Amino acid sequence: MISLAGRDILHAWGKFAFTGVGLGLLIGVTLSMAGVYRGMVDDGKALLDNSGADLWVVQQDTLGPYAESSSLADDAYRGILTMPGVAAAANVTYLTMQVRKGERDVRAMVVGIAPALRGVAPGWPPYLVAGRQITRSHYEAVADVSSGFALGDRLAIRRSQYTVVGLTRRMVSSSGDPMVFIPLKDAQEAQFLKDNDAIWQSRRRSEANPSFNRPGVPGLFDAVIASQSSNASVNAVLVTLKPGQAPDVVAESIRRWKRLTVYTRAQMEGILVGKLIATSSRQIGMFLVILAIVSATIVAFIIYSLTMDKIREIAVLKLIGTRNRTIAAMIMQQAVALGLIGFAVGKISATFAVPIFPKYVLLTPLDALAGLFVVLVICVLASLVSIRMALKVDPAEAIGG
Amino acid sequence: MSDYGIRIEGLRKRYGKGDTAVDALKDVNMQVAPGEVVGLIGPSGSGKSTLLKSLGAVIEPSAGRMVLGEQVIYDDGWKVRDLRALRRDKIGFVFQAPYLIPFLDVTDNVALLPMLAGVANAQARARALELLTALDVQHRARAMPSQLSGGEQQRVAIARGLVNRPPVILADEPTAPLDSVRAMAVIRILNDMARTYETAIIVVTHDEKIIPTFKRIYHIRDGVTHEEAGEGRAFA
Amino acid sequence: MQGRTVALLAVVIPLLMLLGYVALHSGPLAPIAVTVTTVRAQALAPALYGIGTVDARYTYKIGTTFAGRLQRLDVDVGDRVLAGQVLGEMAPVDLDDRVRAQESTVKRAQAALREAEARQAYARAQLARYRQLLVAGLISEEVVATRQQELQIADAVFAAAREDIARARSDREALLAQRGDLRLITPVDGVVALRAADPGTTIIAGQTVLEVIEPANVWVNVRFDQGSAGGLVAGLPAHIELRSRGGQPLPGRVVRVEPMADAVTEEMLAKVVFDAQPAAMPPIGELAEVTVQLPALAAAPVVPNAALRRIGNQTGVWQLVDGDLHFTAVQIGAADLDGQVQVRDGLQVGDQVIVYSEKLLAAHSTIHVVERIPGAPR
Repeated sequence: MISLAGRDILHAWGKFAFTGVGLGLLIGVTLSMAGVYRGMVDDGKALLDNSGADLWVVQQDTLGPYAESSSLADDAYRGILTMPGVAAAANVTYLTMQVRKGERDVRAMVVGIAPALRGVAPGWPPYLVAGRQITRSHYEAVADVSSGFALGDRLAIRRSQYTVVGLTRRMVSSSGDPMVFIPLKDAQEAQFLKDNDAIWQSRRRSEANPSFNRPGVPGLFDAVIASQSSNASVNAVLVTLKPGQAPDVVAESIRRWKRLTVYTRAQMEGILVGKLIATSSRQIGMFLVILAIVSATIVAFIIYSLTMDKIREIAVLKLIGTRNRTIAAMIMQQAVALGLIGFAVGKISATFAVPIFPKYVLLTPLDALAGLFVVLVICVLASLVSIRMALKVDPAEAIGG
Repeated sequence: MSDYGIRIEGLRKRYGKGDTAVDALKDVNMQVAPGEVVGLIGPSGSGKSTLLKSLGAVIEPSAGRMVLGEQVIYDDGWKVRDLRALRRDKIGFVFQAPYLIPFLDVTDNVALLPMLAGVANAQARARALELLTALDVQHRARAMPSQLSGGEQQRVAIARGLVNRPPVILADEPTAPLDSVRAMAVIRILNDMARTYETAIIVVTHDEKIIPTFKRIYHIRDGVTHEEAGEGRAFA
Repeated sequence: MQGRTVALLAVVIPLLMLLGYVALHSGPLAPIAVTVTTVRAQALAPALYGIGTVDARYTYKIGTTFAGRLQRLDVDVGDRVLAGQVLGEMAPVDLDDRVRAQESTVKRAQAALREAEARQAYARAQLARYRQLLVAGLISEEVVATRQQELQIADAVFAAAREDIARARSDREALLAQRGDLRLITPVDGVVALRAADPGTTIIAGQTVLEVIEPANVWVNVRFDQGSAGGLVAGLPAHIELRSRGGQPLPGRVVRVEPMADAVTEEMLAKVVFDAQPAAMPPIGELAEVTVQLPALAAAPVVPNAALRRIGNQTGVWQLVDGDLHFTAVQIGAADLDGQVQVRDGLQVGDQVIVYSEKLLAAHSTIHVVERIPGAPR
């Protein structure tokens, strides 16, 4: 027996190929959309992975430092270091802001990383793609490649110029902004010292305030200014644990004795995925459902019109004794073949489209498999209408009826 | 080989029920011997279409008896179970238009029927090629139907009708779109094939050009057949 | 049919190959691009990096010890002044009148002295006359004794009058001294760095009116992060890069490491002076980046700091052994500012280590070694 579906496809392969490519692009969009969601989740996880922490210590009763702002004294880490089970604790600041380079500015998450005593500390970029880690305690930066900065670039963050000495990859905030790592002290200053105008104004306000600027107390005003223009806060303390320590136990003891809020990795992931990108993910889920419906409709329509084009042939086939099963198989095989072509084109186009997206898009093999399964199910379901039509064709129609 | 390719006795067909019932076929009797080509002529509304469908085992007659070769198809309400297989194996169809399957090449168009019957592909193709050779279109064996001329298409259609060696072939206006020369050629082929393959051929037509060629003609009027002798003129 | 099949294969096979390529070379199944370097023995010249502000070594805050109004101020910020130069003056108010009154007091005391002198001379003459009379026996002893006493009184009055003059003079000198203190005088040659008040301002005692610094005596007050200030001692050579003169480091050296570190900012403080004073004095308070050169170390295996990874609490490197990844914990030593780190323990010279990677590596990652991570600009 020859494959009727195969022969038909071969005969009308141009039409079939174009239809397949069209469907494929639609599937590509669907896969990319799923990839966008995965990318968002992965951005969140990358943020956590890259921080290299087991625990996040933040301001009491906040969801900081990513989902909410949090502020801690920068010497709080000393106390945390003394807690049993804690191996390392490092201050870190996060501030999303515009980073300028010449005329251009890039929205970035500026991460202030504590100086490392030996090698790399929690919060440091865990791997680089070019350049080196920060060695000076001021005015050096490691930027993510997605920011478009290159080694040796001079960046302006607030009032200071930073030299890019290293580049990372996939170091992004939960909203996909590239990270720029700078030394903690600079970051604290950047977080607090807005700009020169603001400093001048605040200085003038203090100067006008008689209780700060008393004629009888020389030096008071200077002290006030000094205290105003320094910042002793950080956003979080990243904690790593000694081997074999249960994160929950250590977290509980810090919570209890240090009166700070502590999140474990699992909780942090819950906050990021559950709270930060929950709405976006629902949005994308909605899109996926719509795209699936559109795809199904299109496949159904294509198969239906392909079948309707062949209705006379089907009548002839039935008249000359072709079994219903054979005809149904022909239509279903065509639908599945269309689905497979579409999937292949979609997968390929989605993969090649990934680098074009401004934000990270992650295509996982599991998603692709699920997509393939869904496409096939949709194709089979969509072909059912056509099969029903074909089976209702009266073979007598072939006889001049 | 039996005496008759097809024998029909007292075939009746009633559409609908009660007051609105219409008798499309009232009394049809036909006998066609293997190797014989008969004409079936009738005006519109005479029941010709219904008869053709009944002969083609597409619709079931209400009463009467029909025998194909030695197989009883209908007998007063009884019928063969698998009409589809019956159509495939025992009846050849040749239509007004060739109705070839556009996505199969000439060989496979012909070989499809044996294949559907479960014959191995190579064997079915060999059989098809044999018939195509007999019909002198073997040189187009690998062509697609759309690449053939009308006459070639019709010959392929005839080959398809013959490929399962059915006892009877129903030809529905096989010459309608053709000029007289080509029409005659088709009739000659049908006659040749009827003889060669010992098949009874019923040609449904109202083509004046070819009516004179039949030795026997069945007229159908108001659902009743009348047999009469034809001119049996030799074809040009 | 043959041609058709070939055409179909020509479409389907590349499609399938592309699909296979796409499935294997993107996403999690794709091998991770890494770059590899060989551990070399290298003598590091470590350096310390800190930032600080330009500061005057000595600042002379000039003011008065009395409250009063500022009468005049002759110099402005930036003016060069010489030691002893009068820079300004406080309003004397009634001080001059009081000096004049004191002068009158002196004169009056001198008059009183002259009167006492006259009385003393008369008393002395009287006593001499009466003594002769006593010798002649003309008067009694008692009369002579009276004259004696009168002379003694005149002597005392004379002495008192003399001391009165000295007192009046001293009072006047005290007032004059006070008057002199109203002048603002610089103790050193220098430059006026600050002018805190203008004439007419009322100044309280002890308030600074002018600040004078010595331009030849500026240094940089540098802060070094405690964690990376090992080896900081006085005498080390340094490069000072002033904000306003970026790219032109000036040579200098550490003169003092402060015995008191800053506990709040976790920094060590040091003073760095210029080897040669810059021709134009840098403004006090200008930010300066200081690199202190530590003595070069003996050659030791070094890796780039980009190769260091942290897994759990171990710092180490991904080592490439026969094409397989191995995480090797290392003990690291000194580092230089160019990102080279000495490895004290864990690696040998000639070992292959991963420097850059496209993704986070794990022991089971599949890798492919490249010259440069794709997508990373040079």
